[in-house]
Amino acid sequence: MKRKILIGSFLLVMAALFVMAGTPSTNQSTAQKATGERLITVLNPAISSKVVERVPLGPRIETVEVKTIYLVDMQWGGPEAAYSVFEEMQGWFAKNMPSVKTEIRRTGDGPFASDDAKLRKEIVEKKVAAVVIGIGG
Amino acid sequence: MSRLARNIELQCKIPTVGASGINVVKFKDYDLLYGNGMPIRYVAFPFPVAGQPKSVHKSYVEGNDLLSGKPMMPAIIDALTKPLTADEKKSGMPPGAAPEPRLLKPATETNLQRLFKDKEWTDFNPIILPTEARVAEMLKGTSRKPNEMVSKFGSRELTVEKVAIYAVMAGARPEYFPTILATATQAASFGNSTSSMANMIVVNGPVRKQIGMNSGIDAMGPFNEANSIIGRTFTLAGKIMGDLRINAGAYSTLGSSLQYNNVCYAENEELLPDGWQPLSVEMGYKRTDNVVSVGTGWSYISSVGESQRKHPPHMLIRDYMRSLTGMGATVVMDPTVAKLIKDVHGFKTKAELSEWLAKNVEVTAATYWGNGVNTTAMTPMALQGLEPFATWLKAPPETMIKPFNNAKSIQVVVTGGNIQTTWFVTDFRFGRGVKIDDWK
Repeated sequence: MKRKILIGSFLLVMAALFVMAGTPSTNQSTAQKATGERLITVLNPAISSKVVERVPLGPRIETVEVKTIYLVDMQWGGPEAAYSVFEEMQGWFAKNMPSVKTEIRRTGDGPFASDDAKLRKEIVEKKVAAVVIGIGG
Repeated sequence: MSRLARNIELQCKIPTVGASGINVVKFKDYDLLYGNGMPIRYVAFPFPVAGQPKSVHKSYVEGNDLLSGKPMMPAIIDALTKPLTADEKKSGMPPGAAPEPRLLKPATETNLQRLFKDKEWTDFNPIILPTEARVAEMLKGTSRKPNEMVSKFGSRELTVEKVAIYAVMAGARPEYFPTILATATQAASFGNSTSSMANMIVVNGPVRKQIGMNSGIDAMGPFNEANSIIGRTFTLAGKIMGDLRINAGAYSTLGSSLQYNNVCYAENEELLPDGWQPLSVEMGYKRTDNVVSVGTGWSYISSVGESQRKHPPHMLIRDYMRSLTGMGATVVMDPTVAKLIKDVHGFKTKAELSEWLAKNVEVTAATYWGNGVNTTAMTPMALQGLEPFATWLKAPPETMIKPFNNAKSIQVVVTGGNIQTTWFVTDFRFGRGVKIDDWK
């Protein structure tokens, strides 16, 4: 009986080793021995990505109370796509933080613009304290 | 959006917060590392935002920010007022990714095949591994130096050697290589849009025959080595140069199976009716020039059956084109269709057909503005008073407008085997073609 168990265990271990040897592995020498494949060298298809210089985020304000916030609609999906989201935000401030003045603006050149000099000029002139921009989708 | 926020932060010295749909905000870390450089603070709404009623927008604002889990409006206020973290104060060059070595570590073919798939360097069809010998053989197809730049995507430079690697992987012959290189100059236009764009590649000139491209029976199908492999190489170049990987840079919501070979075919110049010029000649090249043109678009629809006398092809083409955006179209037709249109219906040139279509395709203003691409791209121009978009925007919804206001944006390509009067109306739009001989 004992002999039968020993033989059975031995066969199980061998079977497990056999299965493991056939499993693809990142260990090249193991894989090479297992499959008989030779090692080859190939060119790397990947292109180096150059990371960009980090720019710190600008300073935050202590509070939004008694400040003007611009809600800027970049018009992704069209001028009506997200406008009412900003209207809802405006309503929320009016109800919950009435000292905050909010104004909704649309970017001049639509959703693909990376800058809006006219809007920036207005933000500076009107001493706007913060901006919410959206809505990307 | 991140660039706009960055410019306001830098130029106006005030805090911003980016409000995004949850669908795209997942790409913010990648954008920070390789694109914007400034760690913009975001809040995220459920997606979609566009097309939803005001009641849903109200629920979004009253709901939670999907990034922080906090109520949306307090989350916005936090983003504007909470002091900067140490990470947000960082400046200068980050450690970043190490430059890619020219050669990969030696490995078995099995493991390398696995690695290429794991890294998403393939289209998941079998590839030929780019050994040094195979790539060197491919490079014999051009006089260009291996380190010459072919195209650039951000800071990622596609060189002649990289294109040779992709050509080997796709199974190309060296004689295809100049055409592949010319096509790769447009690799940055490889379709990668949430709207699920694709490409169309058309080859003109004597090179079509020299490298055995198909412009006859099954020109657009999987029946020709050169058509198949030149198109496939464009996919590998576009994917790898753009670092387009799932959950990294790739973000087409449906994707497109047209991208397996990018609808790559040759024009059947030999069967063009008299007076009809190849696509390349319409673009200003000589008929003897070898030119590849790469277009971007989404889809095509087929006439399916035989042309009818009572409602001939140009009229049915017009009808089908009513379903396109109006930004541009390419009509691909069998030579039999071109001959019918010219001989029976009197269109002496492709341009005459394009002009007729531009004048006769009409849709309602509601249909035109019902397309999100038109609305997103054209409304800002309409609001600035640019015509005809300003008039179209003010028009009552049922007003009929002619969306193809530029006849030159409607291209015609003739290809196919002369055995059925079939045509496809497509929404692909071509930029100016690229001379292949410049890459010999």
